[in-house]
Amino acid sequence: MGILRFIIRRLFFMVFLVIGVSVIIFFMINAIGDPIELLMAERPGITAEVIESIKSYYHLDRSLTEQYLAWLGNVLRLDFGTSIVYNQPVSGMLLTFGWETVKIQVLAIIISLLLAIVIAVTAATRQYSKTDFSVMFSALLGRSMPGFFLGILLILVFSYWLGIFPSYGAHSTRSMLMNSALLDSLWHMVLPVAMLAYFNTATLTLLIRSNMVDVLRQDFIMAARASGLKHSRVVYRHALKNAFIPALTYLAILFGLMLGTAPVTETVFSWPGLGFLYITAIQQLDYPIIMGETLVITMMLVVANLLTDIAYVFIDPRIRLE
Amino acid sequence: MKNASEGTPKTNLKQEAQKPGARKFGMLMLGWQRFKRNKTGLFGLTLVSIVFFFAICGPFIAPYHPNDQSAMLEFRSKSPPSLKNLLGTDRMGYDVASRVIYGAPTALVVGVGSMLVAAVIGIMLGGISGYVGGMADELLMRFTEFFLVIPVFIVILVMVRIFGIVVVGSVLEKIPYLNLSTIIVILGVFGWPPIARIARAEFLRLKEMEFVEAARCIGAGSVSIIFRHILPNALPSLVVIIALGIGGSILMEAMISFLGFGDPKAISWGQLLYFNYEFLKIAPWASIAPGIAIFITVLGFNLLADGLTDAFNPRLKE
Repeated sequence: MGILRFIIRRLFFMVFLVIGVSVIIFFMINAIGDPIELLMAERPGITAEVIESIKSYYHLDRSLTEQYLAWLGNVLRLDFGTSIVYNQPVSGMLLTFGWETVKIQVLAIIISLLLAIVIAVTAATRQYSKTDFSVMFSALLGRSMPGFFLGILLILVFSYWLGIFPSYGAHSTRSMLMNSALLDSLWHMVLPVAMLAYFNTATLTLLIRSNMVDVLRQDFIMAARASGLKHSRVVYRHALKNAFIPALTYLAILFGLMLGTAPVTETVFSWPGLGFLYITAIQQLDYPIIMGETLVITMMLVVANLLTDIAYVFIDPRIRLE
Repeated sequence: MKNASEGTPKTNLKQEAQKPGARKFGMLMLGWQRFKRNKTGLFGLTLVSIVFFFAICGPFIAPYHPNDQSAMLEFRSKSPPSLKNLLGTDRMGYDVASRVIYGAPTALVVGVGSMLVAAVIGIMLGGISGYVGGMADELLMRFTEFFLVIPVFIVILVMVRIFGIVVVGSVLEKIPYLNLSTIIVILGVFGWPPIARIARAEFLRLKEMEFVEAARCIGAGSVSIIFRHILPNALPSLVVIIALGIGGSILMEAMISFLGFGDPKAISWGQLLYFNYEFLKIAPWASIAPGIAIFITVLGFNLLADGLTDAFNPRLKE
């Protein structure tokens, strides 16, 4: 099967999946109760005229299926509706908040990947040594460390006790660090990225190390050594490429975990990203945001999955597309 | 760690298994013999036992009642650890150590309860698709794939929040710890796909084995084959994934509570973090103690699962 057909098939599954999730959320919100009633339960002072205007504005007087299809039709035109609480177009909000989330998560993935490769290779080439043992041990610990608790500790040490890094937000409100917007933003990113990268590094290190140990035992590595190649070349060019492939699939899973738990990360650091927006939206039942954001996050996850699938094929030609 | 003791002990184990006394326990005894040699596994078991100990004996050990705010009256809220309050007091005058101890049963109930729900669903669906195969199998695999890709945590958050509003004024409201029960069930309902995957793989593998064939030949029905022959042999792998799942569920509940969607009536570690996080700068001990408790519990279950893998499925590790 050609790569193009494979991609088309995956895209088909993606569309199905994204629609599935949005249907679940939509009917969950609605089947459990009229959003207007929920809103009234939260804000008892709301008047009848306001309710009527909201009803007609969000087409709540129509049937559920019609409502959903209307919403889906609007989404196809990139119109996610208007936030009830902020009274702003949701699509614009998703862009601004989404950028903040993607910024720290992509950076964290890149950093943890580089770190994990270096650490795992060092450990695997010295299997059963003290270095290897301590790497394994700390990675095992790191895998069990709740990310948000690590974040709390980081804030305690680096912003409250040492006062080096800011404890909240993505930008300074008054004066920026050295009057540079870029430096200021990087300065704010240090702690959240450190927390995200730490967790990913632990998982990736364990994975790459165990693959590396297997690969280093294989014949072609011995052949490469026997032909007089430098140690570093054998390890990084020949062995790593093979040890890296399983880690690649895991990248999509890690990205999914990070994005899914963004509400926690971003609450810890008061980071103005998708997770933060989501929490306030759930608390205040800002229902266009909940719908739009679930859709966008699912879509990001699915695209990440697709990209890893494609990268897989390019790195490992043995993989057959089925 | 597990390298050196591969060759000789295996024969030892065989001999041990053939002793008349050991035969009665069979696989369990063999597993325990292997488990005992694994330091990480034993460490995990110790941590889990400590948590269980505190969960059961909590009321006898905890120095204060969990709702005792007397420190507030003496203007000793947010006081650092001292002899009177071993881990200090938090912003409401609660004794941190007592509250953390009373959080242990909550964590275990959440972990074990949600995994019970998940195990029932997962083993049933995975077992069916592995045993029957064909269309049912295809359908279930697509379904689990769906669960693996969707952002489960945020869907759970919406569900917990919405359910919390809907039950207001209904009969359900009379159930004690309703919010916590909701969280347990939802975690179970979203936690079954990994269990189903393992169950399916095990059923696929085992249904082709000679002993199952033999059972079928002597006329055993499907039900008896599934429950008496296949399921007991699939249990070791299932126990590992369930132990991992318990740690995962405890972490999930902690995160849900940390975001403020937990059960206000229950004392859980995530809830303690949520209440005390604002005062991190003034009373860090009130946040550090529950955090460490979560860490120890999750670590315990993860290491225990690691040890169980080595003990029962040595094939999986080399």
